[in-house]
Amino acid sequence: MSEKQILEIRHYSKAYSEDKKAVDDVSLSVMSGDIYGFIGHNGAGKSTTIRAVVGVLDFTDGEIFIDGHSVRKEPMACKRVTAYIPDNPDLYENLTGIQYLNFVADIFGISAAQREQSIKKYADLFEITGDLGDLISAYSHGMKQKLAIISALIHDPRLLVLDEPFVGLDPKATFTLKEIMRDMCSRGTAIFFSTHVLDVAEKLCNKVAIIKHGRIIASGTMEELTEGHSLEETFLEADNDE
Amino acid sequence: MMNNGFVLLKTLLLSTSLWNIFRHSKDKKKRRRVVGNAIGSFVVYVMLVGLCIAMGIGFGRLGLIQAVPTMCALVISLMAFVFTLFKTNGYLFGFKEYDMLMSLPLESRTVAGCKFLYMYVRSLPWYLSLSLAMLISYGVHARPGAAVYPLWLVLSLLLPVIPMLGAAFVGFLIARVSAGHRKNNVLQTVLMMVFVIFCFSLRFIIEGVFRDDRIPEVLQKAFQLGDSAGRYYLPVSWFTAAVTKLSLSDMLLLAGVSILLFGVVFAIVGRSYRRINSALKSHAAARSFRMSAQRQRGAVSAIAYKEFKRMTGSTQYMVNCGVGHILAVLVGLIALVIGPDKIIHTVMQEAPINAAMLRPAIPFIAYFLVGMLATTACSPSLEGKNYWILQSLPIEKRTVFQGKMLFNLALSVPFMTLSILFMCIASKAAALDTALYVLLGLALCGFSTAWGCVCGIRHMRLDWENDIEVIKQGAAVTIYMLPNMVVAIGLMVVSVILGMRVDARLTTLGFTLIALLLAALCYRWVMKLASKR
Repeated sequence: MSEKQILEIRHYSKAYSEDKKAVDDVSLSVMSGDIYGFIGHNGAGKSTTIRAVVGVLDFTDGEIFIDGHSVRKEPMACKRVTAYIPDNPDLYENLTGIQYLNFVADIFGISAAQREQSIKKYADLFEITGDLGDLISAYSHGMKQKLAIISALIHDPRLLVLDEPFVGLDPKATFTLKEIMRDMCSRGTAIFFSTHVLDVAEKLCNKVAIIKHGRIIASGTMEELTEGHSLEETFLEADNDE
Repeated sequence: MMNNGFVLLKTLLLSTSLWNIFRHSKDKKKRRRVVGNAIGSFVVYVMLVGLCIAMGIGFGRLGLIQAVPTMCALVISLMAFVFTLFKTNGYLFGFKEYDMLMSLPLESRTVAGCKFLYMYVRSLPWYLSLSLAMLISYGVHARPGAAVYPLWLVLSLLLPVIPMLGAAFVGFLIARVSAGHRKNNVLQTVLMMVFVIFCFSLRFIIEGVFRDDRIPEVLQKAFQLGDSAGRYYLPVSWFTAAVTKLSLSDMLLLAGVSILLFGVVFAIVGRSYRRINSALKSHAAARSFRMSAQRQRGAVSAIAYKEFKRMTGSTQYMVNCGVGHILAVLVGLIALVIGPDKIIHTVMQEAPINAAMLRPAIPFIAYFLVGMLATTACSPSLEGKNYWILQSLPIEKRTVFQGKMLFNLALSVPFMTLSILFMCIASKAAALDTALYVLLGLALCGFSTAWGCVCGIRHMRLDWENDIEVIKQGAAVTIYMLPNMVVAIGLMVVSVILGMRVDARLTTLGFTLIALLLAALCYRWVMKLASKR
């Protein structure tokens, strides 16, 4: 499969005040088939970058392109091919799981037959099919996370953006999500996700960027970056050097 | 594909629908609460319709039935404007599912427009109840043609749109101005408060103008006054002309302008919607903290301090609970500056009342404003999903509610005292009377705090989507606020009448004892309820 640039971040900066930049001059690109890990300390700027990519957060400088479309100028074209899973999804608590999934499917214009197939497939994989008729308010944190993941997958996105996706998931669901990510990657989907779990990033990602105090301090393919060391060692070394 | 705006609106309505919760919840307690809420809303709805029918019949008996369509349009427009102003900030900006919605392929103006329409649909039954009641009385007395009935109802659907859009646009402007500032939340609260107080004062100015004539004459001139109101606010005259003269051009004007204005407002709002929300939802971390000497607080004080931070962190909370306090002090200051006799003359006109006769009512006037909304009525529900924090702490539940009550007292006591002192100085009350009024004011603060807490605990609701649902529309707040305001007005009248017949000091002392007794009873009730939570 030929590689195509799906996500391109060019000199992206986000300032909350004139003297304070949350993210400073971040550039990176994610190709189709990439699983790109975005790692850094708490408050390093990972979520700020991710929220700008998915069109939720306004930004100061730079440009972000998804599948060739500018997030700033053509947000709808970008959102149609993107799926986002936040770290702590705020879902409509008084809807049932299936009502929520139907809402997302309606927004993406997914046909009844296609949504039925997708929902069944992913709900079975995450073992929550039986719970879809219950109110979301009755779900545990992990179940809400699974529901958010299913809602992100039902429109078969070209770019999947995840913020700390493994937080709150049980070991089996973590395994299932990793398998789904690998499968999507093999079908040409680009995946960009933040994580603190370096072991997972090391095993799953082919590319990694390390962000510290809003600036990228290291990035590249996993092999280039680690040079035979573990990702943990690489991360700590890069962190200390800065 | 269904229209995305329609899908979103339908989902927003479904996500707060009592019927959906009742149908799908397995929790019996939750289902019972849903039924209770539905019955409570229905009772209030019937009461409102009854009150409006009675008002309409009153107009009919006074031979002023022709003024009813104008009155109907005016009242609905005013209510829609004021209520939307208090809610718009919470609904349009900084709502918690913002990230989820904005990451979907929905235009910013669609999200903002749907949030507005959601607000409109949710409040529509209340405006329609008013309109329906006035239509009934108009039908009975004026006996209009058959076409008037459906026309009246259809146009009533449009009546709240323009004032709601006006209020939403004011909220948008305030949010936009605040968004560029570091302390945007504080600035937003201050601007909203200033605008609300301006609206209240505008109401009094208009009332003053209306009361240039004596009351019966004003009623006789209601038709002309309505006409003049229609000259300044055109939708009122469009509605009146459409239902009384069956004027097609006025119908089209009302419908056309409402739709056009909706399009224009949300085209403007949509353009800076993401920027405003980004600014309101994201905050820079200063990372400049240096460890210094920390202060230890007792558990009750710590909870009270937490309540203080919760309140100052939410514009909706500050505006809704704080406006009465600010108004109370403002009324006192105005009395001090321009003198109580001028105020009485403006408000009461020729009524045989002077400042001395009104003195016994001073604590109740202050209480009407300060006690308008006790923070304790909504603070238990405001815990929301964070209730676990308090539940997991090694403290008794009574401590939690004592902390919440302490905060309300810390907030209401200074405002109550200042307001009463200003009014007493302005009305030249004796030192002993002033002390007694302040004492009564403090007892009333105690009562409102404890009674608010009873309502807050009994009707605690943690599963809200937007905090405005519990601050403005929650069962606890409604049950606390409505009777409390009616009783406060009643007590103002009773205190004046008793003050003329019995020793005013004795009456004040009697009221103080009753208020203290009620406060103590409510406090015991709170402790009892707390032990069950």
